[in-house]
Parts: sequence; C-alpha cells; structure tokens
Amino acid sequence: MFLLPPAAEFRFPWEVNFVKEGESLRTFGRSVFHCVDLFDWLDLELVSYHPESSRASLSAQHASEEHQVLVDTIFIEPFNPIIGAQYVVLGEAEKYEGTGVMIRARVLNCVDGVNVALLQKAISGQRDFFRERESKQGDVAQPADTT
Amino acid sequence: MQAATMDPAEEPPSMLWGLDPLFSAFARLYVKDILQMTESIQVPGIYFYNRHPIYKVDVLGTVVYKKEREDFFCYGVDDGTGVINCLCWKSQLLKPEEDPIKAGVKPSDVGQGGFNPVAELKKLRQAQQERRRLELGELLRVRGPVKTSRQQREIMASTYYRVDDPMMAVQIEWMMEVPQLYREFYDKPLLLKSEGAAGISTETPLSKAANIMRRFLDQKSVTRFRTYDVQDLLEPLISNKPPSADEHSVAGPSACRQLQQLLKEVLKTLQDEGLVYQRAKFQDEVYYVTTGDKDLLIAVKDIIREDSKKNKYAEKGCHVLHILSAVRQRHSLNVSRAALELVLKALECSSDIISTSDNSYTAF
Repeated sequence: MFLLPPAAEFRFPWEVNFVKEGESLRTFGRSVFHCVDLFDWLDLELVSYHPESSRASLSAQHASEEHQVLVDTIFIEPFNPIIGAQYVVLGEAEKYEGTGVMIRARVLNCVDGVNVALLQKAISGQRDFFRERESKQGDVAQPADTT
Repeated sequence: MQAATMDPAEEPPSMLWGLDPLFSAFARLYVKDILQMTESIQVPGIYFYNRHPIYKVDVLGTVVYKKEREDFFCYGVDDGTGVINCLCWKSQLLKPEEDPIKAGVKPSDVGQGGFNPVAELKKLRQAQQERRRLELGELLRVRGPVKTSRQQREIMASTYYRVDDPMMAVQIEWMMEVPQLYREFYDKPLLLKSEGAAGISTETPLSKAANIMRRFLDQKSVTRFRTYDVQDLLEPLISNKPPSADEHSVAGPSACRQLQQLLKEVLKTLQDEGLVYQRAKFQDEVYYVTTGDKDLLIAVKDIIREDSKKNKYAEKGCHVLHILSAVRQRHSLNVSRAALELVLKALECSSDIISTSDNSYTAF
C-alpha cells in the first residue's frame, strides 16, 4: 500500500496566511532567499547557511502590497538558490512563531520567466470552473432532496 | 460528486457505451474526479463520470511520490486537485542490462557523412529513457487506463514521460484547457441517437418522403424513373396522415392533389441536392439518377480526359465550372452543379479522375 501525500491546491501568495495548518498547497513568488539562523530570521540578518535550519522567503506583489511567504527548505536540500528568480513551491502550511505561516516545501521549482499574469488567470479560471460546477450540483441536489 | 451518488441501476447499458465518443478517448479529467468516479458494476475497469463511460485518462501533474521497482515505477501525480498513483512499467530499454542493439554496432556501420543510424537510434532511446525516470517535483504526463487495485485507484500508464516546462507554459495551457473540455464535453450529458429518435415524429412529411426516395433509389439501383413510378412510394405518407385537427381542412385538397404536391416538392429537393436530374425539361417526366446515369458519367470523364491534354488545363486540371459548361453543351443543359459534383465524386472514388486541387480535376 502506498501512502500518497495530500493534494496541493494552488494558492495565491497573498492567501497563504489564511490557509489551515497542515493543508497542502502550492504557490509562487519571486525568491529572496534568506539563509538565516532560526532565531534570527526576523532580523533578516544573514548569519550562515545551516541546512537544518534553512529558510527561504518568496515575495509577490499584489494590489501594491508586497507579500512574503516563508519557506522551509529542509526536505529539498541541497538546491541551488537563484536570488530574484520566480519559484513555485509545493508543500504543507505550518504555523510559525504564532503569527505567520511557513511552508514546509516538498517541491521548490525555479520557473523564472513564467507569465505570472497568465498563471493567475489559469488558477482563477480553474477555481471559477469548480465554483460553477459545485453551484450547479447544488441546484440539482436540492430538488432531489425535497422529493 | 455526481458520480459518487449515481444509482447503480442508472448505469447506462453497456451496449451503448461505444456510442459515447469519450469512451474511446483519453479523458483529461481532474485527478479528483478520477478518484471519485464510480466503477461500473457490469464491467469492472469502466468508470462513469457524469454517466460518460470512461476507462482511460490523460493526466498532467507534479510528481510528489516515487518508488522504483525492478519492473516499474510508481509515481504519485498531483494535479492540484488530487494525487493519484501511476504505475509506469519500465520498457525493455529502461533495463540497463539488456541492450539488443549493442551487439549490432560495428565501426563499419558508420555511414558516409558521419551519420550513423544505429548510434542515433541509441541516442534516441537514451533520451526516451531519461524522460521516463523522474524525480520529485518534476512534471509528468501520463495516459492510460484506470485500475482499482487494493481499493486504491491508479493509472496503468500506457504512455508516460517527463515534460520539460521551465516556464510553466505547458501547465498553464493545460489548466486553461481542461475547464473548457469539461464545459463542452465531460459535463454535458450524452445524447444518444435513440433519445434523439423521438424527434422523427416531428419530421416534416417532405424530409420523410425525401428519405424514402433516397432509400428506394439506392437500394433498387434505379437509374431513371418517371414520376408515376414512384408515386406509390409516397402514398402511405398521405393516407396515414392523421386527420387534421382543423375541421375546415376537410374541404382542402384531395389526397391525390396532396400526393402530387408532395411528389413535386420531393423531386425538387432531390434535384437541388443533385441526386436526380432531368435531361430535358418539359420533354417528358423522366428523371435520371445522377450517379446511375452511365452516359453522364462517360461524358464527364471524356471531357476531363480530353481537356486535360490541352495546354491550358494540363498543369492545373479542369476547373469544375469549366466541366459544368462543357457538360451542359455536350450532354444536357439541365445538369446542375450539385449533380456534377456528385458525378465527380463518384468518378474520383473509382479513380477515373484525380482531383488536382480544390474544384479541379484531371484524368490520364
């Protein structure tokens, strides 16, 4: 019997802080890697690169706001970070230090050059489709319930 | 989902499955839907999405799980809606110990100009082999039948390969295309002809009569007929006609007149289609079946054969309009373009003539 990981749905970077703990997701953003010490990460002070405590941070612009997504890269090391490149991260959300969310990455792919606008459109399109389908099924299910 | 709640008794009869075009296609379903489709009770291995019988699927997703065995890979593929296990058999070329072409490679095989087909083939196989060994996080395209083994649904890959998608172009295209496929095909219920057949009763007497005529001409290999030969065929349509709800129509045209009228309309329809034509109008009421008229076929063939030798048509062949005017001069003024096109089609089918381009024909 194989134990497959849960499905990772696409989330926009600005939604990451609202996902439930433990939920699988994938998101994207431009990388600003901070190889910082676990306890100092808020200071963004580059101390040293410790594989066991490595953190990466992805940022994305949305509605004139800068969104940061913190990524734990422990499962995907070693990897070759390219600062300023676009990445897609797939992993589980974890509460971090009570305030934010950190993604424990299972996959971190460099997709530099990706058409972010088109990707957003595709994600929205897929969500619209599911919303549409669910509402239709709701319509169908309701008369069935009453009979 | 809709599939999960489907009553087993509602399962479409297996006889009709083949009529659903989705049955023989690799359906690009979301993994979530593949996992939730109900399996057929009649034939295990067939699944239903929205009453569409489906047994093979086409999936694109990120590898989030992998296991390698001697004979196969197991890849867990995540498309953003679900994760499904894909059983990917290693082909002969993925087994390193077997290298059937190695023995055949000799230095003497290297062809002139440095192109060595054996080495190229080897390179190709290597490239194929590389595309079948994936790492976590890589993109996998997999097609194949859906199987349920140990209560777990999986895809038995008939084809699988890594997709190089450094800028997510393929993934984005896929994400935009799949909802369209759902809207246009997967989520639309299948309308089988038997259900559509209810519409026959609403068919006009004219189209009914035209169908009767077409069938008659085809089955009896009729080459020509007069109107009174076929009159009997259409009579049932008139006499079986339910009495009109309108009481006043009792005083309407007699059955005989109605029949004449219908016949006239039917022959007009068939003439418009080019199926029949009259050699000379008003002369007599003889109708020729276009493709059964040997004289017409020979005339058209001769025209094309003769004119193809002329310089003007030698290269491009004769245009259909040129043939039409020639036929009208030589054979009958009443040959319509539709009729000529049927003749040309028949001649082309029997390889008497060859089409050189759109609407142009030649013969040797």
